Amino acid sequence: MTDAGWQSPEFARRLAKRHAAERRFKWLGFSAIALSLAFLALLLFIMLRNGLGGIDWQFLSGSDSTSANVAGVWGATKGSLLTMLVTLLLSFPMGVLAAVYLEEFAPKNRRWVEWVEVSINNLAAVPSIIFGLLGLAVFINTLGFPRSSPLVGGLTLALMTMPVIVISGRNAIKAVPPSIRDAALAIGASKVQTVFHHVLPLALPGILTGTIIGMARALGETAPLLMIGMRAFVATPPGGITDPSSVLPMQIFLWSDEIDKAFVQNTSAAIIVLLVFLLAMNGLAIYLRNKFEVRW
Amino acid sequence: MTETKLTARNVDVYYGQKKAIDNVSIDIDNGLVTAFIGPSGCGKSTFLRSLNRMNDTIADARVTGEILLDGEDIYAASMDPVALRARVGMVFQKPNPFPKSIYENIAYGPRIHGLASNKADMDVVIERSLTKAGLWEEVKDRLHDAGTALSGGQQQRLCIARAIAVSPEVILMDEPCSALDPIATAKIEELIDELKENYAIVIVTHSMQQAARVSQRTAFFHLGNLVEYGETDQVFTNPREEKTKDYITGRYG
Repeated sequence: MTDAGWQSPEFARRLAKRHAAERRFKWLGFSAIALSLAFLALLLFIMLRNGLGGIDWQFLSGSDSTSANVAGVWGATKGSLLTMLVTLLLSFPMGVLAAVYLEEFAPKNRRWVEWVEVSINNLAAVPSIIFGLLGLAVFINTLGFPRSSPLVGGLTLALMTMPVIVISGRNAIKAVPPSIRDAALAIGASKVQTVFHHVLPLALPGILTGTIIGMARALGETAPLLMIGMRAFVATPPGGITDPSSVLPMQIFLWSDEIDKAFVQNTSAAIIVLLVFLLAMNGLAIYLRNKFEVRW
Repeated sequence: MTETKLTARNVDVYYGQKKAIDNVSIDIDNGLVTAFIGPSGCGKSTFLRSLNRMNDTIADARVTGEILLDGEDIYAASMDPVALRARVGMVFQKPNPFPKSIYENIAYGPRIHGLASNKADMDVVIERSLTKAGLWEEVKDRLHDAGTALSGGQQQRLCIARAIAVSPEVILMDEPCSALDPIATAKIEELIDELKENYAIVIVTHSMQQAARVSQRTAFFHLGNLVEYGETDQVFTNPREEKTKDYITGRYG
């Protein structure tokens, strides 16, 4: 084995092996993507086939009903919108402020800050049904807020969404180059001015993306809302955040449980409406990120 | 004639337990350029950053001793670091304009300090700062273009203009040319020479040639100590200390 130069047969054999490994990897990666996309396509296909026929004005503008051909999705949609509004108004400012504090103001290398960090990461991983129990115990039983209302639903989902916003917000803030902070501080900006005039605007696209993804998750959430009574049969759209209401995923759950065969189409149609919402939110996230992203 | 602007007496700087600067005393005069030279890690940048309390932003940095600006202790409780940094400006190693327009980059400082009450005043401040930084002619027709779209040398002059805009008394420069090409470097050096008429300038540099070209005083730092401080000519041609001589002749670096 003295002639281990690049012309030796040994070298050629190894080279062929390396190329083969590369081809294998590409093929594997491609099949992984194809498989997951195939499931999505299948889901979409089944939903569209079953549900598309059920989407008409009656369906989009009506509310829940015992008879499948009158039942509509507007009541649940409005409930979802109101719930999301409460969630956003609460979790966004709180999450962003918490992220800013932890990244920019909290003393580094302190035991209690580490505890807070661990707690927030854990909070993001807590099963959603537990948030539902918490919402039931605190908002309904202790504070006496109206059961089944978008107010309580929104508060509960805000608890769930906040840690997601804190985590994505902290990452976005961390990604702002320290030289920008130095620049602002060195011309005599205070810490708060540095953060609010320079750091936060640069971190905003990342924060918004995280927020919308968290909101999309909350929009599809069902389990915690079961606990606070949003599974009630509500035949009129809620007039405000304290009225009894349902939400889209809950409506899907309720209809899928119906014995009447005619509700199968309604279920699929409601899933289509929910998916359109989710896709629109993800689209908005991408749009906002591209619009506010600063390149330098 | 020259007068003392900054006085440091027995200054130590610690990062946690580590002593980065050991018992440095130095007088920095108005109207001339003082260069800090020394091998990497000798503490020259650390010392520079303690002159406008930028070290405050580093969690476990601690400064002891006394640093006086016009006789006023800058680490006294009565000294607001925000006000101090408006008086002692700083230019960094890597040009760091805000990702905003050229105009906005300079307008930010005067705006937060309330130095220009209306648009016309602000326009005057912008033009004066850019002119002093030798950038006005190059950018006057595109003030609203992004500051980050300028070349590296222009960006650094923009950062100098931004520092000037708040009318500081001292300008600290932390290796301002190390990320620039020789032509851009020459421009900045020329600029430093002009600026020294109006400001006390302290420049940290890796390049001994640069120190010799732009400065009137040179301080040589080694392992956190101020080894030698004197007229630049004397330090380079006739150093008093053996260590200085070894460094200048390239024995270590």
